[in-house]
Order: sequence, then C-alpha cells, then structure tokens
Amino acid sequence: MELLKKLEILSAAAKYDVSCSSSGSNRKNTKGGIGNGSTCGICHSWADDGRCISLLKILLTNYCIYDCAYCVNRISNDVPRAAFTPREVADLTINFYKRNYIEGLFLSSSIIKNPNYTMELLYESLRILREDYLFNGYIHIKAIPGADLNLIESTGKLADRMSVNIELPSSKSLRLLAPQKEKEAILKPMGFIRSKIVEKREERRLLKKAPAFAPAGQSTQLIVGASPEHDLNILRLSEKLYQNYKLKRVYYSAYVPVSSQNPNLPAINNPPLLREHRLYQADWLLRFYGFSSDELLDEKTPDFDIHLDPKANWALNHMELFPVEINRADYEMLLRVPGIGVGSANKIIRARRVKSLNHDDLKKLGIVLKRARFFITCNGKYSGGIDMNDTFIRHALTDKVKVYNTTTSWEQLSLFPLIDNMPTLNDKIMSITGEI
Amino acid sequence: MINYYYDKSFEGLLTAIYEAYYKKEYPNISPMPSNNQLSIFDTSVLIETSEEKAAKVYEAIYKKISYNALKNAYHAFLSEIDGISQSIYQYIKLGFKVGSKVDLYLTDERVFAVHTATKSVSKEIHLMKGIIKFKKIDNDLYYAAYEPDHNITTLLMPHFSERFSNQNWIIHDIKRGIAALYDKNDCVITDLPEEIYNCSKSQTDQYETLFKGFFKNICINERINPKLQKQFMPKRYWKYLIEKSNS
Repeated sequence: MELLKKLEILSAAAKYDVSCSSSGSNRKNTKGGIGNGSTCGICHSWADDGRCISLLKILLTNYCIYDCAYCVNRISNDVPRAAFTPREVADLTINFYKRNYIEGLFLSSSIIKNPNYTMELLYESLRILREDYLFNGYIHIKAIPGADLNLIESTGKLADRMSVNIELPSSKSLRLLAPQKEKEAILKPMGFIRSKIVEKREERRLLKKAPAFAPAGQSTQLIVGASPEHDLNILRLSEKLYQNYKLKRVYYSAYVPVSSQNPNLPAINNPPLLREHRLYQADWLLRFYGFSSDELLDEKTPDFDIHLDPKANWALNHMELFPVEINRADYEMLLRVPGIGVGSANKIIRARRVKSLNHDDLKKLGIVLKRARFFITCNGKYSGGIDMNDTFIRHALTDKVKVYNTTTSWEQLSLFPLIDNMPTLNDKIMSITGEI
Repeated sequence: MINYYYDKSFEGLLTAIYEAYYKKEYPNISPMPSNNQLSIFDTSVLIETSEEKAAKVYEAIYKKISYNALKNAYHAFLSEIDGISQSIYQYIKLGFKVGSKVDLYLTDERVFAVHTATKSVSKEIHLMKGIIKFKKIDNDLYYAAYEPDHNITTLLMPHFSERFSNQNWIIHDIKRGIAALYDKNDCVITDLPEEIYNCSKSQTDQYETLFKGFFKNICINERINPKLQKQFMPKRYWKYLIEKSNS
C-alpha cells in the first residue's frame, strides 16, 4: 500500500484520541542528534476543527481483535485497514520533524494478534527513533493493557509520556460496551507506570545519568456521553486518578457517534461538546484552583449546570464569601472569584504591591470583568451594577451564555431557554487555555 | 519640542537615551523616518550612534534596574510598533527612578506600553516556533519563509540552532528582507532578497503532500470550527503555511 494512503487511514483512525500535549519534557539534544523537548510545549498547526496539531498522531495499525462498541476501529466495523512497519513510523516522524511540522510522535495502536505482539511493535518503533536516528523530540506512547510489564518498562524508558486510556468511567459500562476489556487490566499498567516514574525520579535525584522513565508523566482519556455516568462520577474518578495515580492529565472526549446499531449506545446526533467543556473547566479547578470534586457537585446535583461555568455556579452557592476585596484577598481566594484565573490573580498580587487598585486599574491589567465585577470590591467599592443577590447575578450571567441541548428531543422548560446549540467561542478558548 | 532621531538600531536608541540624560532634555525619541523628512516646526536632533555611549546605558539598565528590564526594552524595540521608542525611553527613565520594582507598575502607562509590546513579541515568537515550516530544497538544506509582525528572526535563532543542530537551514523574513542562516556551527543574520523564496517554490518536497494528507485526516468533521482555528492561527500567516496555502 502507498505510504500516503496508509497515513490517511491511520491518522483518521487516531483522531479521536484527544491528547496532543507536548509539554513537560525538557529532553536535551545530543551531539549529532536531532531535536529536543520544549517544557511549555509547542503547537505546530491547528486543524479545521480548531484542535491543535503538536504531535504526529497516528496508529501503528487499526487491525483490531477487540469489538468495543464505542470505537471506530472495532473488529465488526467495516473500515479500510492498514498497518505501518516500525521503520515507516520512524522515517515519517524524522522527516516531519526535520521540516518543523511536528513536535514529536504520538503513537497508539489497535490490538493486532495479541497485546504483547502489539507492544513489541511499538517498542521497536521507538527504539529505531531513539537509537538509530538519535531522535530527542517528544514521544507519547500508549501502554497496551495486558502487555507484559517488562515490555512496558523498556518502552517507557524511551518515551516522554505514557498513557493508558480508561475510556469508560465505570466497570459496569466497561462490561456492557467493551466486554473483552477488564478494569483491572487497565489499572494494572497505570499503577505500574506510576511506580516506575516515581522510582526513576528518585534514582535521577541521586544519579543524574540514570535513565528517565516517561519524564512528562502519565495521562488518560475518558469518553463523555457514551455511557450513563453523571458528571459527579466522572469528576470523582479524575480526582482519584490525580491523587492515587499521580496523573498529569485526564482528557475528556465527547462521544462522537460511530455506530448506530448498538442498542447499548445512546442515539445522539451531535457530540456533547458543552458537557465536555464543563468537565474540562472543572478539571482545571481541581488541578490549579484548589477545588475538590465535592465542592463542585454532590448527589443532589450530580451534573453541571450547562448554562453556567462550574466556578460561577460554586460562587453563587456560596455568596456568603463574597464580595472579595481585590486589594486584600489572598491568592487562594482571588482564584475562587469567577472570571479571575491564575494569570490574573498573579498580576493582581504583583500590581498591588506598589499601588492600590481600582476598577480601571483592573481593566489595564487585562482582567476581564464581565463575570468578576459581581463578586469583587476595589477599595470597598462595588461595581456590579445590580444587587449582590444570587438570583439576580445568576440571571445576569446565564443570559449571555447561550445553550441548547439538541441531543434529546424533549427539554426541561427553563426560565432562560433559547439559544444556539454550541458553546461560545470564548468558552472554547477557555477549554483550551483553562483560564476560567 | 525637541525631536531625537536615531538610526533604527538598538544602540542608536540607547545613545539617544544617553544624550537626553546628559543634556537634561526631554525629547521625543523616534527612529529616522524612511523618507528622511523631519518636522519643520520642532527642533530636530540627529543622534549619531555611539557604541560606547550605548554600552554605558546598557550596563546602567542592567545594574540599576534589572536584567528583565533590559530584556523588555530590547524585545519592545524589536516589536517595531509605532511610537515604541518613546515608550521605552519613558520606561527606562521610570526604571532609573524606582529600580527593579519598575515591572510591578503594571497600571502605569509607560510600563503598560512596553509590557504590551513585549507580550506581543513573545506571543509571536512562540507561535512561530511552531508554525514556521521548512522545505527541503537541496540535499541537505531546509528553507522556511515567513512574514512576522515583529522583527523576531534573531530571537528565533537559539531555539532552532539547538533543535536542528545537525542540519543546514534558512529562516527568511520576506517582509524585512533578512534571514537567519545556520550551517551546523554558526548562525548569522544577513540580507536575503525575495527571489530566493520564488526559487524555492518551484522545488517539490514529497513530505508536503504527506503532511497535507495528515492535516486533512486528523480533523474530526463533526466538530469543524474555522473560527477557532483562525483565533489560534491568524489568517495573515497562512500564505506561508503548506497545509493552508492551497485550500
């Protein structure tokens, strides 16, 4: 088969994997070698769907022995199949890299023959890149559940990031939609990778030359909307993954309908993009804003309000903490003000060291007051324009966020309906930058 | 009103700042206009660039303000934004007064103008590290053309020299007619005419076709969103992007 054809099939097959991050690794170039890591990550293009292209994201092959209902590459699906050889993967990566098309390689695979065989092919691709081509760019590799742990270990030594996709957020859904996979088989390599990362980091502290193991950490992905879990279940799972498995990132992927036949899958027309967006916002709140999942959701309200971002929603339920005085509040409290992100909070802290700040100063700092103004005072002055009352503020905030759920044919009537079916542009930028 | 004109070099700007300080004048500092026409209503002074005077100001900024202020001044200078010379002058003057704290005065007009320019420069540098794309035009020569808003070619050199230390490459700023050349040892800035770009267009590089195929297939059609794409990758840069040039 022609190389271009293969590339087309195997990049189309890999596109549902969300992860594209190339950050977190500062691998240095070596003498005679090519490439290096960039700690903050670099995007090399943006596809027509607005998602960034940082890594050459491909599957080694899409021949698969499994039949997971949600997956486009399942054995029972009639799609064109192809397979790269490890050498082809390495050549493609090097040549793309030399032209600055990409930051590195994201290599995943369907399960061909058996997990061990697949993992061996992945290892071989990385070995050629690192040893034969002296490639020092970024590599994100999938660990195949069920593969031998020794194989996973030697592959991890060559990679910058390693990930295992959980995909379905509960073992019940897993049994229903991916009967050949088991929760334990997924969690085992995750636990193993975690212990290796910790172990090698310790070794490197004592001995600088000790080999690194996935220095940019471990990540995973959850599909949103293919199974009946609530946002609360998903968020609690993410929180545990961050705490217990020390993951760098959990990615959320709005379920794109790839199969219409399976009765176990929901019949939807559009991927639930806004729900995915709310989960990302909440995820950021967990990682950078000091929130816990219990503060954001509970059994009574297990799903996010689609009309309001999670932080604003939290703030409206805790009006007793507001307004916050910009000139005195500590960093943690500033971060909890809707509309103030990590960057803004840092700027406020710096700027107020030499001058007390008023509303105009905040504008000069580039802080967006659209939402923040309802929750702050500057030198005791409140400029929300309306009473500090959660009903009024809720109304003022939701009016602007236009949302409509097109995935179901009926709708709970609400006071503020109407509405477009997509998140606003601003929402989408936030979902990428994570500033809320 | 006194106007100081300098020769468009950073040393020239620093010399102008030196003169203003020692002559105790409060001039308007700007680069020499390209048509050499000066205002007849104001006093105009042509600043003669002096390495020595420039070096003194350079040292003073570094010692009395901070390394960061020096970097901000230089990056703002490279932004080539209208009126930035005067803002840099004001910023440095404030810096000599308040010292390293100058960068905390985020709401001060003088600091704000310089910070805005530096931020714009850093943003463009980061974007260009990604979207500049090389074409293999000879056996071992990689060529990239672009038209950045700011004069950032010098600032890109360290990144690409480190990353592609083992290949020969050229980064060509068509708008300013300059280029960074790297020969596996040294990196230099030089003038380069636009014809080189036209020559490169006639060459074919098979990996361009492959990358275009990849670009098309990695997109999820159910989520198509051109507005978001343009937000990240403004259309004015598309001319030199292989994935976007023919579509």
